[in-house]
Amino acid sequence: MTHEALEESVPLYAAGALDRVERQALEAHLLTGCASCHSALKDYQSIAALLPLALSPTKPPRSLKATIMAERNPAPIPVQTPPNEPARQSLEPGEWMNHLFPPVAPARSASLPWALGFAALLIVAVGGYFAWNVSTQRSIATSNIQQLEASLQEKSTKLAAVQREVGDQAKTLLELRNALQQRSNEVAEAKEQLAQREAELEETHAQLSRQGAPHVAGTPQDELAALLRIPNVKAVSLTGSDLAKHATGFLLYDSRTQKAWLYSVNLPECPAGTTYQLWAIRDKPISIGTFQMDTGETTHLLVKKVLSFTDAKTFAVSLEPSGGRPQPTGPIYLLSRS
Amino acid sequence: MDKPSQHVTSMIDPTLLARVVKGDQQAFSQLYDHSSTLLFTLAVRILGNREEAAELLQDVYLEVWRKVSRYDVGRGTPVAWLVTLTKSRAIDRLRARASSRGYQAANPPEVGTAAEVTDPGPSPFETQADQELRIAVGAAVAGLPQAQQQAIELAYYEGLSHAEIASRLNQPLGTVKTRIKLGMSKLRDSLQRWGNHGELQ
Repeated sequence: MTHEALEESVPLYAAGALDRVERQALEAHLLTGCASCHSALKDYQSIAALLPLALSPTKPPRSLKATIMAERNPAPIPVQTPPNEPARQSLEPGEWMNHLFPPVAPARSASLPWALGFAALLIVAVGGYFAWNVSTQRSIATSNIQQLEASLQEKSTKLAAVQREVGDQAKTLLELRNALQQRSNEVAEAKEQLAQREAELEETHAQLSRQGAPHVAGTPQDELAALLRIPNVKAVSLTGSDLAKHATGFLLYDSRTQKAWLYSVNLPECPAGTTYQLWAIRDKPISIGTFQMDTGETTHLLVKKVLSFTDAKTFAVSLEPSGGRPQPTGPIYLLSRS
Repeated sequence: MDKPSQHVTSMIDPTLLARVVKGDQQAFSQLYDHSSTLLFTLAVRILGNREEAAELLQDVYLEVWRKVSRYDVGRGTPVAWLVTLTKSRAIDRLRARASSRGYQAANPPEVGTAAEVTDPGPSPFETQADQELRIAVGAAVAGLPQAQQQAIELAYYEGLSHAEIASRLNQPLGTVKTRIKLGMSKLRDSLQRWGNHGELQ
């Protein structure tokens, strides 16, 4: 097709009256940088865009705007057409606008070699036929350079847009990371608090169980534990008599604090009006103290202050009437071996 | 008239689109307000019914929202971009409809050509500059010989090629081409001032 024939088709192109083949021929011609066709197309297209203004205006339904505003994606996507978009029968809108500058979208670059080939043929044929002078060609070259510059500028703009988007995404990522960090801090804090609560709870339990042992003053368990670690504490074990074969006892004497500790196990319950009495026996029995074994009790800790029984040979627990007696009168329940 | 405000539909400020590119909701809402009547009118004219036109406009505006970054002010005015997009999508629909139902005349009886439609008067939201432009375009189209106007409208609103128009009208191909060329050329001559207005280059 000659340049004239192509230029003739510009108004038809603008009106949308060309068929596909003719449209593509003109597009290829425009890619050669033909300045006069460019300018004519621009004129005609700007007129064509005005044509709908001649129609009697019809307002869209009121609800349409709300629907559209609600349906949009959260942000415009500054990328090219998604690959899965179905092929359009007609030209992409603004495609003619692309011709004011060469296409830059990768999707369109496939047609470029063909277009360039076409362009080369066209330049040879048309150039020969019309004997284009040097100035015409120079103007084409200049126009090409301008197009390339424009294309470069356009690409830089797009790159900037992409970079901006990447920047935004990085920011979002950072925010998410910070949020995550904060969450894990909160979780760690919560764990710490939980551990503290557990510790407090444990302590409360311990206090409750201490308070639940009414016969023991202070914290005898702790003292006993401490006592067991002192090497020079005198320790004596007691065994049950025939009356209490399963009973055993363990007596400690700390000379520094002058305290005696009797830990008895499996002594039978005291019958009403009786009490157990602990004796240190040297030449004669000396009372150390009395204690009760109540229903259900299997162990008992007796703590008494005594002046001295370092020379006591034997220890015994007997059952005496309530209040105890100065000398043992009842049956022996526990007796030391030595 | 000499200095139309930037709110005129036909002169949508390219910076408005630049704001839409950045995700500015308000700018998008403004863009809708300025262009929806024109685009809806165009869609109704091509598709012949309001429901489908509303559906189409929904697609078009979502596409505008998604692809607005592809708009380049160097390629034409914002309104030209929007009109081209709407027209292209509407004709896609028209063709899809024609191929699915077999060919049928798509030109709806209730929608007349511009020359036949009486002007309902300016809408309360229409600016003076918009109104003047609308009157100018209407006059330019109405001033064309009927045959030229018909050929252009068959191409423009029904997406017919010159060959299809020729067979529809039972006219020689050359005659149809000439009618379109002459008609477009006359429109250009009478509307050049408007068409070039707003172009940055």
